[in-house]
Amino acid sequence: MSNRPHGAGRFRRPALLLALPSLLVLVGIGLVPLVIVTVWSFWSFDPDTYWITPEWTLASYSALFDTGRVPVLVRTTWLALLTAGIATFFAFPAATIIGMMSRPRRAVVLIVLFTIPFFTSALIRAFAWRLVLGRTGIVNEALVGLDIVEQPVEWLLFSNFAVVIGMVAAYLPFAVIPMVLVLGRIEPSVMRASEDLGAGFWTTLRRVVLPLAMPGVIAGFLFVFVVALGTSTEIQLLGGAGDSSIAIMINDVMRVVNFPLAFAIATTVIVFLSVIVILADRVLKLSRMFEDLGT
Amino acid sequence: MNREATVLRSPFGARLSFNALLTIALLFIYAPAVYLLLASFNPGLQLGLVPPDRFSLTWYVSLAGDRKLLSALGESVIVGAVTAVIATPIGLSAALAFRAMTARRGAFFLFVLFAMFVPGTIQGLGLSVVFKVLAVKPSWFTVVVGHVLWALPFAFTVCLVSLAVVRPHMIAAARDLGAGPWRAFRDVTLPLVRTGIVSSLVFSFLLSFNEYSRAYYLVGRYNTLPLYMFGAMNSGASPTIYALSGAVLLISFALVAVLLLGRRFRIGRSAGRPGNGG
Repeated sequence: MSNRPHGAGRFRRPALLLALPSLLVLVGIGLVPLVIVTVWSFWSFDPDTYWITPEWTLASYSALFDTGRVPVLVRTTWLALLTAGIATFFAFPAATIIGMMSRPRRAVVLIVLFTIPFFTSALIRAFAWRLVLGRTGIVNEALVGLDIVEQPVEWLLFSNFAVVIGMVAAYLPFAVIPMVLVLGRIEPSVMRASEDLGAGFWTTLRRVVLPLAMPGVIAGFLFVFVVALGTSTEIQLLGGAGDSSIAIMINDVMRVVNFPLAFAIATTVIVFLSVIVILADRVLKLSRMFEDLGT
Repeated sequence: MNREATVLRSPFGARLSFNALLTIALLFIYAPAVYLLLASFNPGLQLGLVPPDRFSLTWYVSLAGDRKLLSALGESVIVGAVTAVIATPIGLSAALAFRAMTARRGAFFLFVLFAMFVPGTIQGLGLSVVFKVLAVKPSWFTVVVGHVLWALPFAFTVCLVSLAVVRPHMIAAARDLGAGPWRAFRDVTLPLVRTGIVSSLVFSFLLSFNEYSRAYYLVGRYNTLPLYMFGAMNSGASPTIYALSGAVLLISFALVAVLLLGRRFRIGRSAGRPGNGG
């Protein structure tokens, strides 16, 4: 895309009119509150009114460091990275089967199966893991029943292990969808050429498919990472007592109505996420992936 | 797009290992939910499975007597329905805009999608302070505002995918025959995307119906269903919570499966007919 000064002129009027309602919602309900949160994170807390006053300060950011909030940020990031890594490991073969190794009918059924979770309750799906991983859950009953262990394994539930399992199960579809999109854009003739030149399946996969699919793979990884970073459900329902995450920390801070500190945590996350998305878009041309959808 | 059935020829071992990973992924996603569903038919107080002949709806029946639950359910149904009715036309309009655009489509798409990736807690917090400053009292309507933003990316994507059957030459033909843009939309586009619109309504409803972290900051006097359920899950769960979870899961699964499969297969059949654009 060229950067001519009149580039925006190609944004034709009907398109602009049709885009207007969604832009109003996205900016008015989506963006404006986030900008306000960011600005107000630099204002002072007024203990008399439990609200903020427009005096510029970095107090809430130093409070972020003083009150031991940073380890929670690091911990949440680490768990989200681990979740995204595991999800990507499972999502790539799944996407390859859907995009390249299935007849259309089967591909559609599989896509449907990976789409349904988006529209079911994350709360319930996390809660269901309690039945599976608990002291009397099926996993422990099987382990004890098969004499693999004598006592039920305690760390299966209310642990990082449970949290990561719950998050992988919840957010795996976020990784599969972009990979399927990207694999669908690879010309079949490219694979044919690779085969004609004598490459086997694994060589074609590694040297041809994977490099071409890389933007989708990284996008899938990032989608899972971003969603896992912001969730509270899985840690609240499956994590150990006292385990925290960024979202839980914000809820806790808000319970004592410390607005600026909550805003500072939120701003840190927003800035972090924005930088990741903008960088990814620059490097991977993420926006290109979606250009021929629905046409 | 005319692709051969399978694009990548694969040896048996590769197919086996990839299918194994795919199966594990699907088991991860579905097995716990299915297990919970089956366990919810256990009439006893002790958790776990019972043989199908002892299945009972005891706990489901006792749901009907819980007043707080029914009020939360009512609140969620209202919020979900209003959200769906607002988000769908906006999503459809955005999808039409996307198709009319000649430049910056990808950027527009990413911008619409961004709402999906902002952590719900942060979006809810931000909206709640804006409402506070505007002196808007929290109520079912403030939840709707948050949920329209949450549902919009999905409504947009569903409408966009369903618009694929509307080929540019169909609109051009309508316009040649003297139809204005509105008439062409009403008589050509709208009938073709009817199933897409229904899907978008249902999906938006379900997204709102199951949403927790935005609603946490935006509800007024009455809890929505997920907030009620979260409370019940953490208070020494009585088996009714399993029945409630089971009911919500069943309704969600059924609605989505019927919509997605029904629509796909209809497209699959009509695509085979000659002269159908495509």
